[in-house]
Amino acid sequence: MANLKEIKRKIGSVKNTQKTTNAMKLVSSAKLKRTEELAKRSRVYAAKLTELLNEIAQKMQQSNVEGIDNIYFRNIQNPKKVDIIFITADKGLCGGFNSQTIKRTNKLIEEFRANDVKVRLRAVGRKGIDFFKFNGIELNDEIIGLSAAPDFKQAAEFISDIAESYVNGETDKIILVHNGYVNMITQEVREEQVLPVDTSKLELNSVVSSELEVEPDDDDTLLDALVKRYVEYTMYYSLIDSLAAEHSARMQAMDAATKNAKEMVKELNVKYNKARQESITTELIEIISGMESMK
Amino acid sequence: MELMKLEIITPNGVIFDGDVTQVNLPGSEGEFGVLAGHSTLVSLLDTGVIVYNRADGREVAVAINSGYVKVDEGKTTCIVDGAVALSGEDTHIAQAIEKAKKLLKSTQASSASIASAVSKVEKIGKSF
Repeated sequence: MANLKEIKRKIGSVKNTQKTTNAMKLVSSAKLKRTEELAKRSRVYAAKLTELLNEIAQKMQQSNVEGIDNIYFRNIQNPKKVDIIFITADKGLCGGFNSQTIKRTNKLIEEFRANDVKVRLRAVGRKGIDFFKFNGIELNDEIIGLSAAPDFKQAAEFISDIAESYVNGETDKIILVHNGYVNMITQEVREEQVLPVDTSKLELNSVVSSELEVEPDDDDTLLDALVKRYVEYTMYYSLIDSLAAEHSARMQAMDAATKNAKEMVKELNVKYNKARQESITTELIEIISGMESMK
Repeated sequence: MELMKLEIITPNGVIFDGDVTQVNLPGSEGEFGVLAGHSTLVSLLDTGVIVYNRADGREVAVAINSGYVKVDEGKTTCIVDGAVALSGEDTHIAQAIEKAKKLLKSTQASSASIASAVSKVEKIGKSF
């Protein structure tokens, strides 16, 4: 009989877990919708900004024979110092979302270390910070709370500090790693070179536009301002992208958990029924054998 | 009058995307107007007010804090950080004006340019 009670208790607990995971799934899907909308709106802005940067870079390349002569567009073959920024979630329970980013970051670190490149890590999100702290790897920057609620001002402040260290020559390259949103069921780890601006990605030699006038007259003022904005926005957009991916990953994980719980309840029910049947059979046998012996 | 495309884009979405006859922009080197067929130009935008005339002749103003503009022969693209549209159709014009003033005052531009932009917004507000 004790067994019966235990199974019943187990069924209750699994059912409760199922309720929780189901609720979390619903919350995530609602949040995902909101974040997706935000991402959609800022995507237009990001696209236009890149387009504009593209065109100015193109113009500069046309006027300079040796290519673009600007600190933000340097072409560094062998960087000596690299900053890696990676974005993870503050919370877990979202499948492999965080571990994927961490894995990619680790791979990058190893690659750079193998080439004798100094790596500095800057972490956004509690999960990534916890992981590297646990493994005794030093982090240069830690930000908690930004990945759960992307804020343009905060993101801009964070990235401009790093961009400044790039301008000062403290670092040769800035790489941003995050897990991005593809659609409701897929996420993809993205790796972006923030600075120097990756000229190979800009379609430099596509449409050669007509003569471009620039105001204020000296190119650098405009370009500096534009690159700064571009970097800030890349950071902000990555945060939004990461958040959308987090919600979709959590939605999936919770959906799977709910399904598994359902399956488990089913199995436990069968077990319970079997145990009950067994106890009834035993009781019957006892009664019958008692009667037989009385004859 | 000949029409051209105008786009005003902010991080929070597209404010305007359509045909206009003319647009006045607060460039960092001074205000300038753009008509269809303008030569290609890229400029920084300062705190101020963008004023454009829509195809139906209605004049619309948009207060901005800062940004960039790219002008092509047939298309003008404004990429701004923050913007508040002040259009006559808006029933909450008073609120919009307040918001615009707040936006303008929150920038780091010189007080003279802020003052001129704010007075412009007030003038537009009175015209409704």
